[in-house]
Amino acid sequence: MIFKIFESLDEKFGVERAKAHCDVPCGIYDPIVAQISALTVVRMIDLIHDLAGKGAEHDTAYHNTMSRYVTVKEEHAEKAKAEIRIIWGDYIKAQHLESYPQVNSVVHKIMQLGSKSRQTTDREAAVEFVETINEFAEIFWATKGITTKRANAPYAPALEVVYPNL
Amino acid sequence: MIKVLKVTGDSLTPEYKGGDFVIVLKIPLWFKSPKRGDVVVFRQSNYGILIKQVDRYDPQSGEFFVIGTHADSVDSRQFGALHKRDLIGKVIWHVRNPR
Repeated sequence: MIFKIFESLDEKFGVERAKAHCDVPCGIYDPIVAQISALTVVRMIDLIHDLAGKGAEHDTAYHNTMSRYVTVKEEHAEKAKAEIRIIWGDYIKAQHLESYPQVNSVVHKIMQLGSKSRQTTDREAAVEFVETINEFAEIFWATKGITTKRANAPYAPALEVVYPNL
Repeated sequence: MIKVLKVTGDSLTPEYKGGDFVIVLKIPLWFKSPKRGDVVVFRQSNYGILIKQVDRYDPQSGEFFVIGTHADSVDSRQFGALHKRDLIGKVIWHVRNPR
């Protein structure tokens, strides 16, 4: 009975909400997965061009290897996009957008470059994909008051990656 | 001073469930500090208006820590301590959703 009264009050006037907030990720966010995935995309493009440039016979072994490179490229481009979407959607809050108004356009650019990296073997676009995710990582760590450094990844394709100074 | 709020989320289950209503009052907190086990409503800069249980209160700094009863609760273990000024009130009446 009492509950029904409150429920009709809510329906009529819209009672304010108090969130008993629960979230499985519990605040564990890190752009490094996206960064490594984007590096993998560049690596796969390099391997694709290498294999194609060898002039080998297009036998079953060739097709098998080529399709594996393409599959890994596809998967990692999507993984990088998904990781960035999660951080953007779940971690980035209004006050971060106020302090770093470029976040939305950086994320949008990542999404587009990720798609281009899936659709093509354009190395330049994939390198830009890595670099734009680096920009996002710099913003992400800055929101936590953590400075960053740039260093070349210690593995091929050895591109520059943003790391937090922990 | 007095507020009616509807609970959303599961971090205080099984005692408080999504859909329950709570009546909160600020006056009791003027005279008595929040103590462990009190259910309070407060404002958190990232998450907005939250309802949690007080875990501990430091009267010297005015800081308090809140927790949920669910394992996946987002609380002071993630967003740290709160200040007494963030409190909206203490739950004085809990109206359970019968469903």
